[in-house]
Amino acid sequence: MRKCLSLRSFRHLMRLLSICALLSFCGAFNLAEAAGGPTILTDAASTRAIAFEAVTYRKEPFPLTMPVPFSADTRSRVVFFVMNLDLLAGEGANALAADAEDATHHHYTFTVENVTPMPGYEWMSQVTVRLSDDIGDTGDVLFRLSLHGVSTNRVRVAIGHLGGGPADDANMVSTPAPFPAPAPTPVPTPNPYTDPAFATANDSVRFLEQATWGPTTNDLAHVRSIGYRAYINEQFNTAITNYPAQDLYPTDSSVGCPSGTAPANCARDHYSMYPVQISFFQRALTGSDQLRQRVAFALHKILVVSGKDLNNQPGWVTPYLQTLDRDAFGNFRQLLEDVTLTPAMGDYLDMLNNSRVSPNENYAREILQLFSVGVDQLNPDGTPKFDAQGNRLPTYDQATITNFARVFTGWTLAAQKKWVVDGTTNVLNYTDPMVLSNNVGSYNATLNSYSGVFDTAPKTLLGGQQLPAAAAGLTAAQVQSYKTNELKLALDNIFNHPNVGPYISRELIKQLVTSNPSPAYVQRVAAAFNDNGQGVRGDLKAVITAILLDPEARGDAKTDPNYGRLREPVQLVTNLLRTFNATSDGFFRDDLTSMDQDLFNPPTVFSYFPADYSVPGTNGLFGPEFGILSSSSTFKRANFVNKLFLANSGNGIPASQPNAPTGTQLNYSAYQALAGNPSQLIDALNASMMHGTMSVAMKASLVQAVTNVSSANPALRTQTAIYLIATSSQYQVER
Amino acid sequence: MAHSRRTFLCRTGYALGATALASSLDQLGLISAFAQQSNNIAADYKALVCIFLFGGNDSNNMIVPLDAEYSAYNTVRGPSGLALSQSALLPINPISGRQFGMHPNLSPEVANPTQSRGLLDVWNQQKLAVLCNVGTLVQPLTRAQYQAGTGRPYQLFSHSDQQTQQQAAISNGPSQTGWGGRMADLTGGLNGTVPLPMAVTVSGTNLFSTGKNTRQIVISPAPTALNSVLVLNASGGAAADQTARRNALQQLLGLDLDAFLVKTVSDTTSQALQTSAALSTDPTVGTFPATSLGNQLKQVAKLIKQRDVLGMKRQIFFCAVSSFDTHTNQTGTNPTSPNGGGTNSGTQGSLLAQVSQAMRAFYDEMVAQGISNQVTTFTLSDFARTFAPSGSAAATVGTDHAWGGHQLIMGGAVQGGTFYGTFPTLALNGPNDTDTRGRWIPTTSVDQYAATLATWYGLAASDLPTVFPYLSRFASSNLGFLG
Repeated sequence: MRKCLSLRSFRHLMRLLSICALLSFCGAFNLAEAAGGPTILTDAASTRAIAFEAVTYRKEPFPLTMPVPFSADTRSRVVFFVMNLDLLAGEGANALAADAEDATHHHYTFTVENVTPMPGYEWMSQVTVRLSDDIGDTGDVLFRLSLHGVSTNRVRVAIGHLGGGPADDANMVSTPAPFPAPAPTPVPTPNPYTDPAFATANDSVRFLEQATWGPTTNDLAHVRSIGYRAYINEQFNTAITNYPAQDLYPTDSSVGCPSGTAPANCARDHYSMYPVQISFFQRALTGSDQLRQRVAFALHKILVVSGKDLNNQPGWVTPYLQTLDRDAFGNFRQLLEDVTLTPAMGDYLDMLNNSRVSPNENYAREILQLFSVGVDQLNPDGTPKFDAQGNRLPTYDQATITNFARVFTGWTLAAQKKWVVDGTTNVLNYTDPMVLSNNVGSYNATLNSYSGVFDTAPKTLLGGQQLPAAAAGLTAAQVQSYKTNELKLALDNIFNHPNVGPYISRELIKQLVTSNPSPAYVQRVAAAFNDNGQGVRGDLKAVITAILLDPEARGDAKTDPNYGRLREPVQLVTNLLRTFNATSDGFFRDDLTSMDQDLFNPPTVFSYFPADYSVPGTNGLFGPEFGILSSSSTFKRANFVNKLFLANSGNGIPASQPNAPTGTQLNYSAYQALAGNPSQLIDALNASMMHGTMSVAMKASLVQAVTNVSSANPALRTQTAIYLIATSSQYQVER
Repeated sequence: MAHSRRTFLCRTGYALGATALASSLDQLGLISAFAQQSNNIAADYKALVCIFLFGGNDSNNMIVPLDAEYSAYNTVRGPSGLALSQSALLPINPISGRQFGMHPNLSPEVANPTQSRGLLDVWNQQKLAVLCNVGTLVQPLTRAQYQAGTGRPYQLFSHSDQQTQQQAAISNGPSQTGWGGRMADLTGGLNGTVPLPMAVTVSGTNLFSTGKNTRQIVISPAPTALNSVLVLNASGGAAADQTARRNALQQLLGLDLDAFLVKTVSDTTSQALQTSAALSTDPTVGTFPATSLGNQLKQVAKLIKQRDVLGMKRQIFFCAVSSFDTHTNQTGTNPTSPNGGGTNSGTQGSLLAQVSQAMRAFYDEMVAQGISNQVTTFTLSDFARTFAPSGSAAATVGTDHAWGGHQLIMGGAVQGGTFYGTFPTLALNGPNDTDTRGRWIPTTSVDQYAATLATWYGLAASDLPTVFPYLSRFASSNLGFLG
């Protein structure tokens, strides 16, 4: 305790010292250059940061290890001073990311450990950063912080020795502390985006990229007139445009579609995902329930089934997709139960017909690992917990899996139905939720269970929760009732685990907004999951609202180098179609397969791409969609854009019987009208495709490319511009 | 402490604290990584071909004891219909005094001569070896240690984590690079300047081929012609318009690289453009099965045939077969019927037929190219599967996620026809079991397995610790199957 006190008083002393030093450093007391964004303070004459080694308060160059070690971790900490750091209430170090670039253009990810407003100088914060383990004696680096997706200026700071380093960024100026000091802003900034009226021109395009299958002219006008919050609430109350019901067909396709006598396209319509793939795109293109569709598809990638392992029968997959639509704005607990009992999931992960005798562990493992809690114990902000030795802490062990596997026993398909075609052939009931088997058996004291397919022995679940055995002497109906209740208790046990909020929130943010959300963002959304404000846990409406109205999701332009997510092929298709007012039959199956996203046939329960895919060549950035971006598929994406805008004389995708009855046509006449002025054309496309984030260099390059096309061919000019933007990495990564 | 800090501070003073402190941390590790690039270009050609069996192959049914221990096997696996019958197994004698059997579909032609050939001939020619009970480990591990909770790999029995660890050869947590990629980082000098990356994948991006500096090229498998695997289409306008458009596309790839995800897309596309230019011909190779793996290995064979044209001296290939996650329907109603024989042989039987027939075609093609001694093919998988079945009844029975399993190694350089490592005791709750369902604790680590392959490939002994940081924890860094 004495040690702590002395440490605190020491730090207080140093803080006071540092303020004096800081102000005296600012020599000429120029006004800060910052245009309102977060700005790291530099000295008056250069881009060198005002920064101190955290223990000794010595200036740069900073040693890699602390001259006076505080703890077993001796890596140096450096303190920077930042103004305009508009933290939200409750936000701290986990809202900030830190990046440094050395002379070889290698980037290092530093850890922000502390953010403290300077007492009496609340316009300025002191930010303590831990140097990364992989940095060496690099000399100068350019350092920046990011908050809510927006970066500071990049300032120069010496690591190891002074000098060297990359050149300053263009137009970078020194940013000394302002004089006179700005008025203090003692309370954290409220989140402006929850203001019902708020929707700026560029950010509203981004908003619709996140909340819908792509911005259309009408939706843009609408959201700009009513604001984000009203738009979201309106979407919550918009009716579902359902996937059409699909007839149940016999499992054996040679019975369902007998050769010679079956109608044309019988196999396509009943033993392939074609009908749901078509519906998906038709709904995405014109459905009014855009947010629901977007969230349901995100949930599909979290709680996965795959048509390819469901006998390719759309009649088996459709009820699952309808469940996701129905529950997308409901409660996560309900979603978990409804999905668990769909025959599609039962079949896919083997809960269907799972028996007390050697119970199958498949569903038990994946519902925990992928659908709810994840493998590591998490902090409320979604970061993993570590033990004293630095190891991650598992959420569950093999014994937990075994116990859940025993819970998930005894469920089978509801009574068979008749095949609509002949009215007599029995078909498996993949429409109705699974039911409990009638094979109850009798009580067996040795097993402490009934002897049929149900395991009714006691179980130990997450957190050590005990489920009691079924009593002896129950009727069959009572045993079934016991199992029904046991399933509910087990799902409650999962649902109430503290990991679910941060885990599901983070996955949904990654699907809708950005692949590398700050822990603070995850924490805010997880808080909404944990309590929607009315004491309800798991309210997905609250979660979605929190995701979309967060400052890290909103704002005109994001400059954080970590920000963004790769448009997955499905989204690339829908975004281009909706931006350019397409009419389409929805046939994109083959295009998607070539881009490695075979719609509704993900290769495994780990979805089309792994949620924790780490992007090669970065400092461990996540980028799930990069799991299907390769040298091969990057060309396939470009070739799809070529097909949409340039092949077929620029008339879109031609009709082709039987699969593509009308083809796909796009309408970009409004842009073509600007083709005589390449700069205006690119500006218009920048607004609609890239929500105004195009760099000056990119625009110059595009204007040149458009100008190179004969002005006598305005269509080709327009197509060239759209092609180059849509194939660009800058567009492929939504930022 | 506080006092001394303050004293120190007073002495140096904040504003005067510009004195540079000499860095005590040397950067030799980093520097030597680049220095490796100056290695002499290799005189010979060598390739490693990884076949990853995604989902977790049940190697307990791939290699089965045929001697007295068969009854132990049959006792556990027989009643549910999971056991292969003694008469169906293909007898092999890898260990003096013991007899084993290979899954019948490792050579489907034995039971059904109309089937294309599998691996039994290659085994008999001693060009195929089995490495027994290999898996992810952070240290040699006894059953007692496991049960006490010490020394376990991170997230055992989880697909994603165990795939990562198999491909990274680092088992104590998540990894961002694979051992193939790290090996390529350090052996790039053997190739000199060549138009292709060292790591080539025919089944999508993977961790195995990802290095700190190495970025894999991903190409389509056959039947796509080798000179058509990476084609950027251009329509609309005159040829000059198309050329200008392509140039503009390339120019955009050089912009806005400050955003890391944007840069990654641009790097990927740039590499595709470069490789696309190099792959201009489609050589002819022998017949391969028209299966997923057959087509992948066919494309690999074509690239190997182009090695001199492209100037490649070292290549690392990655192929994969999925759907080994046989929780149900592992054996089907007729576990001994080779795939294509007209009867359901279950998911695993069908997959093993695919694997063995494709590997055999590839081996024959390497012999035909006169290069079989320089190409080594090996399998990896997430994990093996529980010795105890999950579920019951032959049509539905399967197995759950387990741990140590057997892998196949094939090539002219392989000292085959025998087992390496230690065959586990097939006993539930026995000396190799983690618990009571038959999840074998590996007796050989994937680190050792990988290091043996890497050493053959040409990775310097001094670089082994860089690629395999935990190798020194195990008794041997060379298991001997490559001489």
